[in-house]
Amino acid sequence: MTDHNDAPAPASAGKTIPFKCAKCDAPLGRPLVCDACHTLNASAMLTDYFTLLGLPRQYELDGQQLHRSFIDLCRHSHPDHAQNDSPKVQELHLRVSATLNEAHRTLKDPVRRAEYLLELLGGQSSAQDKRVPDGFLGTMMMMQEELAEAKAGGDAREAGRIASVMRTQRDGLMKRISNLFEEHRLAVSCEAVRKDLLDEIRRQLNAVAYVRKLLSQVEGVHA
Amino acid sequence: MPETGGIILGIDLGTTNSLGAYMTAAGPVVVRDAGGAALVPSVLAFGPDGQVTVGRQAKAHAVENPLSTIYSVKRLMGKSLKDVAEDLRVLPYAIKPGPNDTVLVDVAGSGRTPQELSAMVLEDIRRRAEAALGVKITQAVITVPAYFDDAQRQATRDAGRLAGLEVRRIVNEPTAAALAYGLDRKSDSCIAVYDLGGGTFDISILRCSEGVFQVLSTNGDTRLGGDDLDRELIDMLTGEIRARFGEELEFGPATRQALKAFAEEAKVRLSDYQQAKVQVDLGGGRVFERTITRDEFEARAAKWIDHTLEHCRRALADAGLAPGDIEEVVMVGGCTRIPLVRRRIAEFFGRNVYTAVNPDEVVALGAAVQAGILAGMKRDTLLLDVTPLSVGIETLGGGMGKLIMRNSAVPCMASETFTTCIDNQSAVDIHILQGERELAADCRSLGRFVLLNFNTLVKCVADVKQGIFPFKDDCVGTSVLKDMRRILFGAEVVHPRLGIPEIPPVFIHI
Repeated sequence: MTDHNDAPAPASAGKTIPFKCAKCDAPLGRPLVCDACHTLNASAMLTDYFTLLGLPRQYELDGQQLHRSFIDLCRHSHPDHAQNDSPKVQELHLRVSATLNEAHRTLKDPVRRAEYLLELLGGQSSAQDKRVPDGFLGTMMMMQEELAEAKAGGDAREAGRIASVMRTQRDGLMKRISNLFEEHRLAVSCEAVRKDLLDEIRRQLNAVAYVRKLLSQVEGVHA
Repeated sequence: MPETGGIILGIDLGTTNSLGAYMTAAGPVVVRDAGGAALVPSVLAFGPDGQVTVGRQAKAHAVENPLSTIYSVKRLMGKSLKDVAEDLRVLPYAIKPGPNDTVLVDVAGSGRTPQELSAMVLEDIRRRAEAALGVKITQAVITVPAYFDDAQRQATRDAGRLAGLEVRRIVNEPTAAALAYGLDRKSDSCIAVYDLGGGTFDISILRCSEGVFQVLSTNGDTRLGGDDLDRELIDMLTGEIRARFGEELEFGPATRQALKAFAEEAKVRLSDYQQAKVQVDLGGGRVFERTITRDEFEARAAKWIDHTLEHCRRALADAGLAPGDIEEVVMVGGCTRIPLVRRRIAEFFGRNVYTAVNPDEVVALGAAVQAGILAGMKRDTLLLDVTPLSVGIETLGGGMGKLIMRNSAVPCMASETFTTCIDNQSAVDIHILQGERELAADCRSLGRFVLLNFNTLVKCVADVKQGIFPFKDDCVGTSVLKDMRRILFGAEVVHPRLGIPEIPPVFIHI
């Protein structure tokens, strides 16, 4: 009955937003909040999550900067601080707050952030392109077999070792994804190269999803 | 009595004790009676003339009047008879099934809902505050265990309303405690709040950044607390009594109440002393005497503390942190006075635990702080909370399709596309669930809808409807129900589970 769509949908990403506060006409230093009169700018929610949180649109990000920016925007937009305002303003605070939470959740997690950025850049979704890097499935099948044997033999130590190999594998894939995004950022001119890079990121991300799923099963057993 | 307009009372509605607090310019203040007492035992006594007494007086009559003395009602809030089967073993009063899968407490032949009974405690708290402040109070912030599900939160809201209070917010107890501890002055640090109360256990991991409290994760067990430790002692005593006076010995309600009182007293005493003496008069000249040592108590309490550590581990994993990342460990709830608890928690986190504020009062003080935020009195503090349990809908084949994962920051949104799955289908049944299990049958059911007026001849095409789930502050599922009805044309609430008979469930009246 339901279709699950884990990836966030940056439908209208990249839209231009006004430069001036609708209320006091002061120039907007950041999209969401007017620094002069603290009014929320609803159209800021049409932009992408990076812009909303005042971060550069790239994979590598400064976790401290994300946290500070998120907390500061929450201070301005949280519904608790709008309890004595009109219902319309309260509703706006609720929507902005929910969007901020979603933006923060997406950018904070490396995999979600990669999925989101890939979509922003025009890459394929995991439903459109299910390929994984060459040789990946073979390695995984081997590991799964080893794991099944360890579990059948009640060898918790061996199962733990395999889980740790999987974690290393996952971290390696994420590092590669980070490098690919960086290459993509620098490859400004050539469209074909850029597309190849996005396709490669897609395959690496599919592999990460696979490893993460396996890991959650392994860790679930240990928990 | 003059209207206040402004004062929102913060209330800690506990399993064993309740109390109120309010915000002043100088900070939160606990409501005390003329004798200086703040705690009101969450106990009700029903006299033969229909007179109801609340608190200390009611508790004093528990032994002589066991069947009409009601306590630990919080354990029954928002529960069905099946949910509370385990509790029935130790509660001396009778419980019977109510309408809509609820429970009723049998008081002198008439059934009372847990909401009504809790409302009586809340009303007493409200009256005390009115007497202390000299103004009428109509609004409140009430705390609940972070791990309470939606039915339990809704029941608490309903209790507030029955007590004549507009419940402005339901706040999680551990988060309230963090607010009260004044840790907001910290520039940027992670703290853990360990809350072991009379009937519930919660662990919350928070990050504090200059006045903003961000809950990272929460975990717990709504049926683990001091009552379980009392029960360990009761089991020990009853076992020994039977061994001495005969295996067939039956314990009447009065003896059970007495044993409960002795066990509680012994537990409290053992926090300060190495041993506690218990004397039970069984009637007919039979007197049972026993000295319980702290070591004996700790041996029996250990497994319960181990359970709480398991929850701590899960909460840390969800927050993506290790025990060493936690800079402060705040202890809340009467049971954190137990030396064993302090020792084990300090060991687990590798640092001394924080016990500066009275663990019985800290939650109410925090509720008052949140009340101050809502009243616009305190703009430098902000609480960013999470939903403790995942929320989703039943999928084809009886699975649980999660839409909002547990520990998601609130408010949050999720959207879902609904379509038909067989030809000529004209309606879609939507079943909203809360919980972590994979099967719908294992999750808590929050309500059902039918989406009508699908005009599809062929399955999975056209007439797709989309629902948006805006999640507000506390009662997540309720918002789902309310807003979906507003958004979806033709949606109809069929059977909101665990509604209570006296008040029509709110989500039907929009």
